[in-house]
Amino acid sequence: MIEHLGTIEQDAHRDSPVHRLDARVKIVIAFAAIIAMVAVPYSTLVIPLFAGYLLVYAVWWGLSRLPLSTLLWRYLLTLPFGLFIIIFQIFFENPYYDTFTPLFALPLGITVYVQSVEFASILAMKFTACIIWIILLSSTTPMEELLKGGRRLGLPSVMALSLGMMIRYLFVFADMFANINRALALRHFAAFDRALPYRYRLTTLAYAIGSLFLRSYEQGERTYICMQCRGYGKRTYEALPKRPVPSRQLGVVAVMLAIFVALPVMLYIAPF
Amino acid sequence: MHIPDAFIPLWQSAIYWIVALIFIALALRWAKNELSEDKIPLIAVLAAGIFAIQAFNLPVAMGTSGHLVGGALAAIVLGSPYAAVFILTLVLIIQGIIFGDGGITTMGVNILNMGVIGGFVGYYGYTGLKSAGANIYLSAGIAAWCACFVASLAAAVEMAVAGTFPLVPGLIAMGTYHAAIGIIEGIITGAIIYFLVTSRPDLLAEEVQQPSAGGVSA
Repeated sequence: MIEHLGTIEQDAHRDSPVHRLDARVKIVIAFAAIIAMVAVPYSTLVIPLFAGYLLVYAVWWGLSRLPLSTLLWRYLLTLPFGLFIIIFQIFFENPYYDTFTPLFALPLGITVYVQSVEFASILAMKFTACIIWIILLSSTTPMEELLKGGRRLGLPSVMALSLGMMIRYLFVFADMFANINRALALRHFAAFDRALPYRYRLTTLAYAIGSLFLRSYEQGERTYICMQCRGYGKRTYEALPKRPVPSRQLGVVAVMLAIFVALPVMLYIAPF
Repeated sequence: MHIPDAFIPLWQSAIYWIVALIFIALALRWAKNELSEDKIPLIAVLAAGIFAIQAFNLPVAMGTSGHLVGGALAAIVLGSPYAAVFILTLVLIIQGIIFGDGGITTMGVNILNMGVIGGFVGYYGYTGLKSAGANIYLSAGIAAWCACFVASLAAAVEMAVAGTFPLVPGLIAMGTYHAAIGIIEGIITGAIIYFLVTSRPDLLAEEVQQPSAGGVSA
């Protein structure tokens, strides 16, 4: 995962109307979108709602001037675990339904039910509708801005400080991780090479990971001492200059929040 | 086992979030009392390291791959389950918000599984086995396996409660998969502890009495 850090951060440093928005605005919009979608019960209401989400999202992604391939690539990266759960849904009777109509039967007594397929689709839609907002948020907001935005929104200063330190060193360790892998590859080491004894592969990997652990621990010690030398104390992150959100951007937040509330309500009252 | 958004209903997510927040508060109190609050940067940098460690693809039997969670490792080396809670919380926030691995509403449940359950099972499994007379590398390995396995069972139960995956198939699927992945987690954790004891014995000062003097019965 860490190997994609640089690419995501580069996207976040581009320029577009979405990139220029205050981080707080984007955080609130993304979180509201996700919470609103999660709050909708597992029902067929999700299907038109999902379509609505995609329409609204298309505008946002278009305004961000990021290529569609970025969205697809990042979406695929998040898939594995969710996809596993979604695909296996279709073989089980789901507690959200009372009656089950078999769609077709497979050998070994496995039956695929219509309702289970429906539930799997609803789950997939809800999952997708949530994840795309996270992708927009992190692809258009640099980490440092996200952190400052979070801090201004009331993230406790201890957490902000810890996350700030972590973010800075993530990039250091991403490089270190790449270096270690390159060094291993130069020596013709491949973790999945069957020609090498399994025990040898595991030992080598364990020592590589152990040294990375040690280097990060020692980096932590050095950083801590250096920070103390420069007068670091408990209240370091308190002094963040106040910056009001421009009123036009507040308007954007208000409109988006209204959409996320109005969409499910309208679809509930007047279904398609 | 990062449960994504929408796999747990909102009200259940809220409950898990509250429980997770209690443990995060306890972990912050631990950092204040045991580490002196100033030392938090050290833990934060270590969390970045753990994030990088999770990127290593490890060969599991039959061509599948897995990666370390690292909660048990952190808890054992730093000598407290709260270290795991703290570090995994930081890691999961970055994973959830930057990479979309896990989710916003389900971050609480993920912190609960990997940080709290993983950390406590890992740490107390380790101290329990060690006091029962097992050597430290074996104890660390078994404890790390248990941490991975128990956390995955918890995730299966939570999804069954949420109604998004039936209980028994969930327990079997998650259990067997993570029992296999956990073996790697166990072996690698044990080997890392060995590596740390030989290269920086002061890190694990309480556990080891100078391996070079033959104090450890291996």
